[in-house]
Amino acid sequence: MSEDRSARVNEVDAADGGAMATATRHALEALAAADWLRAVVLASVAVALALGVTAVLIAISGKNPLVAYAAMVRGAVGSIDRIAFALNKSTPYILGGVGVALCFRARVINIGAEGQIAVGGIAATWVALNIAASSGAIVIPAAIVAAALGGAGWAAFAATIRLTRGVHEVLCTLLLNFVGLLLVSEALHGPMGEPGAGFPQSPLFKRPAWLPHLLAGTDLHIGILIAVFAIVACHLLLWRTTFGFRLRVLGASPAAAAYAGVSFPRCAFAVMALAGGLAGIAGGIEVLGVHYRLIEGFSLGFGFNAVAVALLASINPIAVLPAGLFLGFLEAGALAMQREVGVPSSLVFVIQGLTMVFVLCAIGIGIRQQRV
Amino acid sequence: MDGAAIVEFLAASIRIATPLLFGALGGLLSERAGTFAVGIEGMMLAGAFGGAVTTLLTADTGIGLAVSAGSGAAAGLVVAVATAKFRADHMVTGLALNILVVGLTSFLLRGLFGGQAPVIQLPTLKALPIPYLADLPGIGRVLFHQPALTYAALALTLAISVFLAKTRTGLMLRAVGENPEAAFTAGSNPVRVRMAAIVAGGALAGLGGAVLSLQEVGTFTDGMTNGRGFIALAAHGGYRHRPRGQCRERSCGRPRCRSCDREISRRSAAIIVGRWMPFPTLLGCLLFGGVAALELRVQGWDLPVSSYVIQMTPYLAALVVLAGIGRGARLPAAIGTAFTRN
Repeated sequence: MSEDRSARVNEVDAADGGAMATATRHALEALAAADWLRAVVLASVAVALALGVTAVLIAISGKNPLVAYAAMVRGAVGSIDRIAFALNKSTPYILGGVGVALCFRARVINIGAEGQIAVGGIAATWVALNIAASSGAIVIPAAIVAAALGGAGWAAFAATIRLTRGVHEVLCTLLLNFVGLLLVSEALHGPMGEPGAGFPQSPLFKRPAWLPHLLAGTDLHIGILIAVFAIVACHLLLWRTTFGFRLRVLGASPAAAAYAGVSFPRCAFAVMALAGGLAGIAGGIEVLGVHYRLIEGFSLGFGFNAVAVALLASINPIAVLPAGLFLGFLEAGALAMQREVGVPSSLVFVIQGLTMVFVLCAIGIGIRQQRV
Repeated sequence: MDGAAIVEFLAASIRIATPLLFGALGGLLSERAGTFAVGIEGMMLAGAFGGAVTTLLTADTGIGLAVSAGSGAAAGLVVAVATAKFRADHMVTGLALNILVVGLTSFLLRGLFGGQAPVIQLPTLKALPIPYLADLPGIGRVLFHQPALTYAALALTLAISVFLAKTRTGLMLRAVGENPEAAFTAGSNPVRVRMAAIVAGGALAGLGGAVLSLQEVGTFTDGMTNGRGFIALAAHGGYRHRPRGQCRERSCGRPRCRSCDREISRRSAAIIVGRWMPFPTLLGCLLFGGVAALELRVQGWDLPVSSYVIQMTPYLAALVVLAGIGRGARLPAAIGTAFTRN
């Protein structure tokens, strides 16, 4: 692995010549230090520690942790239906997480996936309700594209505030998340709402707008394929294109990036819009494939899950796939655990939060060891 | 609005600003010592939970308040250990704490009471009119007819202002936030100072949460802080890039350019000014309190806008205020960085 990386450094040396390569050599070496085996060990240890702490909590609440975890495993992988459910759950996390991972690569802390998913969902719903096509081959791509544009637009809004007014992206994206969630409520109580429904929701979409299923007899829709495709595309983008290289340099060393003439505003705007587009698609898939309608609060918590996935994956696009699947299966399992054993499923947030803290600490120590 | 309505509105603004003020002051302590305080939301939620549950169990508000401060401090300790000791990223650690606390409080609320979330109905803390002063026309009703914790928050603003500006410990705290290496050379322990600042900030934020659960609504619901922690962050200054002037490298548009740091910071490090000050923070909180109070009032006015659009106003107001602050606002110089001895 490290040989591979140093070969890449040499390639760069040859391609771009002296100054830039010298400036970026250090940056790439820093990236190479986070090699995949270490990342896997790190993620596994963090998850194990989090599960351990959570077991103590389950015990405190008077339940047997082993029984609870057994129910969790059964709920996650116990039957084809449960696996399909978990895969559907993972889809938005993977799509949101891969976008966040790209942003984090360039040190752009975009945590607006939740709002972007919400706006993407609104856009997809608008298309699904207003395009009267009888064929899914027209409605579905149109709705997904609209969702991507909606999410990208929402992220671009945050990026514009960040870049022109200098408000930190964490605050812009966070505050816009709340606004995005309220936009969904506004749409459902206004133009998109189903008249006479007790719950704020849009009318059910017509059949052609439903995402096709992958396995007959289960709820598994094609969203997971879109997610896998996005992962591969982002992996290639990050490691095989100039834009991806710029993102990596920006993340590894802003000084080197500045010296090499990489424009931070341009890259930050582009990567935010890209991540927003991916999150928007996640929102579109959620309304077209799971609910078949827009419902209030459908994106609640997705944004933080996307951040958790990106971190668990050591901000590596390919690794977002297992990380996202892990979270999806964890959540599916936790819901079953709540039903069977009576342990509240909010435990998932505890596991996620702890895992994130542990991963962050491990990354922090890693930096220290490098410097010594 | 007539006179009485305006007085009511101002009084409500101050009341609503109280939890924000606690949160913002807590965040201010943490950030002046050099650690981003994105976890304030989680610390407030922890405090709201600790305060409500303890008061429910012991029927003693005093113990409830103490536990709320303790819960906030405990949440702060997680961030303190992760960021100061293990050098974890400040922003993302704060977010992780927020998730952790949402999950933990929701879990414990059910887990501690046998699987079902109990119905919490607590008497809210009543207004405590200050004798004589409360009878002043107009201003008496606005300023001196408030619940106890509101007075505490106002007093705390003054106390923190004095602490930061006039005491040795306060100076050390600021020094650690501006230049931890220099502070270390001068004999203080930056890691310990930062941890203490975060934990103390967490205790204050926890009290802010208690204001919500004990003084305002008298109950605890999942995720009840609902973004107030983030608005508190906006209130005490908000994160703006460009603390050290524009980079002069032609190709570098980045506001904080490492390669040029040395030259630019020499010019600006001499003055420790900026918006990370207690009294401007108070004004910021009052502004957001006013927006929220107006939001409540406007809902009764029968405007042609839906309630959801009105509910967006605090968040949009925070964004507008952040985007509108002059470019002069300066973060503590060493904020977001980790300190190591070497």
